[in-house]
Amino acid sequence: MDRKKIEEMVDEVFEESFEIEKEQLSQEKGIFQDLGLDSLDIVDLIVALQKKFGVKIRDDNRVREIRTLGDIYSFIESLYKEGSFTIDKN
Amino acid sequence: MKRVVITGIGAVTPLGANVDETIAAIEANKSAVVKMEIWKEYDGLNNLVAAPAELKNEKEIPRKKRRSMGRMGIFSVQAAREAVADAGLDREKVGSACTGCIIGSTMGGAEAMNDTFELMLPKKDLSELSSMNFFKCVSHTAAMNVSQYFGIKGCVMATSAACASSLQAIGAAYWLIQMGKQDIMLCGGAEELHAIVAGSFDILFATSTHFNDRPELTPRPFDKDRDGLVCGEGSGILILEEYEHARNRNAKIYAEIVGYHTCGSGEHVSQSNKQAMVECIDNTLRSANIRPEDIDYINAHATATLHGDKAESEALKEIFSDKVPVSSMKGYIGHTLGASGAIELIATLKGSERGIIYPTKNLENPADDCKGIQHVMQKQKKELKYILKNCFAFGGINASLIATRFS
Repeated sequence: MDRKKIEEMVDEVFEESFEIEKEQLSQEKGIFQDLGLDSLDIVDLIVALQKKFGVKIRDDNRVREIRTLGDIYSFIESLYKEGSFTIDKN
Repeated sequence: MKRVVITGIGAVTPLGANVDETIAAIEANKSAVVKMEIWKEYDGLNNLVAAPAELKNEKEIPRKKRRSMGRMGIFSVQAAREAVADAGLDREKVGSACTGCIIGSTMGGAEAMNDTFELMLPKKDLSELSSMNFFKCVSHTAAMNVSQYFGIKGCVMATSAACASSLQAIGAAYWLIQMGKQDIMLCGGAEELHAIVAGSFDILFATSTHFNDRPELTPRPFDKDRDGLVCGEGSGILILEEYEHARNRNAKIYAEIVGYHTCGSGEHVSQSNKQAMVECIDNTLRSANIRPEDIDYINAHATATLHGDKAESEALKEIFSDKVPVSSMKGYIGHTLGASGAIELIATLKGSERGIIYPTKNLENPADDCKGIQHVMQKQKKELKYILKNCFAFGGINASLIATRFS
């Protein structure tokens, strides 16, 4: 349930910040080659994810391992499990 | 020296999203000046009127190109697209090393600067800053974004000389083509409206403050009741082209640029200097190899400040006496600052095409200190061969340009 909510919230970031339609968003999609982001977009992706989830991830080394949308879902989920943020289920 | 002609024009102004809309509104004697209710939140800001341009259809610009653009970046790309289409240039040529781009503005995007400081300063924290703020804040944001949009590979530059920025951009582009360095130049200016900008003039007592409830009656260039400038925004872009290049492709030619000069007064950062204006205009006439009596119309800088209009009137009187019609566009669209030279030159070219001189809107009673020149207070029909455009800026920077109808 929490994973689904996380995926929805991450997808919202891609829709709002990068104008990518929801239909194009699935976990196997590569954020560079499939979704068309570049190095500058990654800076803004970090800023948008920080704002969305109320976390600080700019200096988290795990960010460097992200390749796919699924990697982002899993990274945010692990932050959640570590207690870095809570999710408003309403 | 190569000959330089104008083959395309484009504009986003407080009166319209393109040149035709703008000219139609000027023809209808419309004012773009409105009350800025939102500015009431600023203590000490007494000027509550401005001439905003409408931001629309920006999503026609692909996201990756648009992400680095603030309002002025978007306005300048939209104006440049219109100018390129108007000139009938193919995109391959525009994207080649034969084409350059010089676009000026008073400063970078004020909105992005404001956002940057609001994010960064309260907690001294940079972690929420977008990668794009820098590209919107830089002084060459308009030139950079237009050149990126078109893939321009020639000279890319930004002039930054406040209200003379765009005329300096056009002048520099003219020089580059004259010298054979480029075949085509996209040039002009852009500006975006923000309380930071209007406030900078307001604290110097240079803005209009007595017409906050009657915005359409200000600014009032040369008028006895003038009380200061009104900030506007938008972009004006011209396509300058080497004459043979334009002729070989049967391009429509609006005019030929035949004279240009820019100089400093070296006297004072804000006070207008009549003698420097005279020298600037004199040198422009000399560079065009024509006499004052050859000029058919002067599109004045005339922002409606007390000192600026007086100094410009005295300078024009000394050179032209009352023999040449003079008018200002500021009453219609406010002072679009870094974009004003380009937008007003474009409006002048369109008027010239129709043999029309647009009058100075809101000029009802010429002030005593602005008398002795031929004010245009009603629309005039006149065949215009040589036109003179002036821009005078803070920092003691002057620029004048002469264009002639092509023959």
